[in-house]
Amino acid sequence: MNPGILVAMLEVPLTGALICATPAIGRPTLQFGVRVPADHAAMPVVRAERRAFYWRTAAVTACCTTVAVLVAGRGSVWPVWLVQLAQLLADLGCFGLARNKIAAAKQAGGWFAGRRQVVTTDTSWRTSPARFPVRWLAPAVTVIAVTVVIGMLRHPDLPPVPGRSAARSSLGGYGPVIGQLYVTALWTGLLLIIYRSRPDVDAADPARSARQYRRFLGVMARAMLTLVTLVDLSLLLSALRRWQIGHIPAAVTVLPFVTGLLVLAVVSLRTGQGGSRLSGSRLSDGRGPGPAMVADRDDDRFWKAGLIYVNRDDPAIMVTRRFGVGWTFNLGNRLAWLVVGGIVGGLAGLLILRAVLGPF
Amino acid sequence: MLLTIEPDGTVPIYLQIRDRIVEAIAGGRQPAGSPLPSTRQLAVDLGVNFHTVNKSYDLLRQEGLLRLSRKTGAVVHRDAHSGPPNPDWAEDWTGRLRTLLAEAAAQGLPAEDIVRHCRDALADFAFPAGASS
Repeated sequence: MNPGILVAMLEVPLTGALICATPAIGRPTLQFGVRVPADHAAMPVVRAERRAFYWRTAAVTACCTTVAVLVAGRGSVWPVWLVQLAQLLADLGCFGLARNKIAAAKQAGGWFAGRRQVVTTDTSWRTSPARFPVRWLAPAVTVIAVTVVIGMLRHPDLPPVPGRSAARSSLGGYGPVIGQLYVTALWTGLLLIIYRSRPDVDAADPARSARQYRRFLGVMARAMLTLVTLVDLSLLLSALRRWQIGHIPAAVTVLPFVTGLLVLAVVSLRTGQGGSRLSGSRLSDGRGPGPAMVADRDDDRFWKAGLIYVNRDDPAIMVTRRFGVGWTFNLGNRLAWLVVGGIVGGLAGLLILRAVLGPF
Repeated sequence: MLLTIEPDGTVPIYLQIRDRIVEAIAGGRQPAGSPLPSTRQLAVDLGVNFHTVNKSYDLLRQEGLLRLSRKTGAVVHRDAHSGPPNPDWAEDWTGRLRTLLAEAAAQGLPAEDIVRHCRDALADFAFPAGASS
């Protein structure tokens, strides 16, 4: 089985398990993309929908994993990708069902009636900003440098492209290096934007949540840079295979990548979105939560389907996601579209290079 | 400093931002010389237009509480320890205070309660040692 199929097949149960566990790692005041007051987070309708979501997504994951294993043996990655797509659509359906029921209950019960809806920020986030962990970028850069050096030593001319004669060797021999550069630059750039984004501060306990977010950002940035290093390592191993150095089984080349995904998943589960699962006792400053009738602003209208943020009046490029761990773009901001365009353009450039120069 | 606003409240957002910063200065959480975020950064953090924050900062600059420069950004210019205020400012403030107290009296709040509320508010502020008595 080639590495691409293997990765795609492993992604099915991994993604399914993560989506299934997602409600448990979100902020209590955000249930399936619906903003709820802190004292409504354990309402019967919320608990019932969470239980239903667990069962539904677990069933979807089990079915899709079985089908993925069956179709993976056919030798093509496309059927596995179709299974991934079907799984994603089914999980989205489960999410939509839960979201609609909670939103309807919130509307009917007037959960935000009589509450002060506020937005809170911690100015020290800007005056004493969190530092981007530059040192954690060093391993990825080292792996890229090692890949280049090995390529140059093994093939003093340009490395060969599989399926092409030595005479037609071209820059495509360095395909893995181009891939490494793209992944490393992309994630570094995104992390730099994230470090300039606003912190996820909970109005119910702003001091504590601001500190939790600071810790969360540091931990997640290190986990993401670890993933980048391991992706680069996978590309290095595939380069070694391509350049016929040693006998590396295809499955081994994907091991670092899968390990990186697992690391990121474990870190996400431990921290929760915005650091909501991080230890409270270590972070509390004794000031405690804010007044009971104060709640985060009900901003559901800016979240399309509870997943896509579109707010033209918000200058933020990236904001924390409502479902799952991480960040998403504010599609109401032109700069966000520029960044998305850059990412898609870069990917398109890679595919064009691949077509012109040979497979990476 | 934690800064909280009500985006859908009746008080304009720029005034809310201004009021919270004044309270932080009076409470000693934002002493003279301490920096504030840039207008763009604070706008991103509060999810409001940066012109709104700009208006707040400009108001605070006119009141002498904030110093704005390209080099140092927004810095608190004075606090309770910075000496007596400008006489013109004191006269203006007395007029506004009178209106505020009149509102309470017009609503039927007894004088003792008004004084008690004033004392409670003053208890949150960081006056120089000996000045509060």
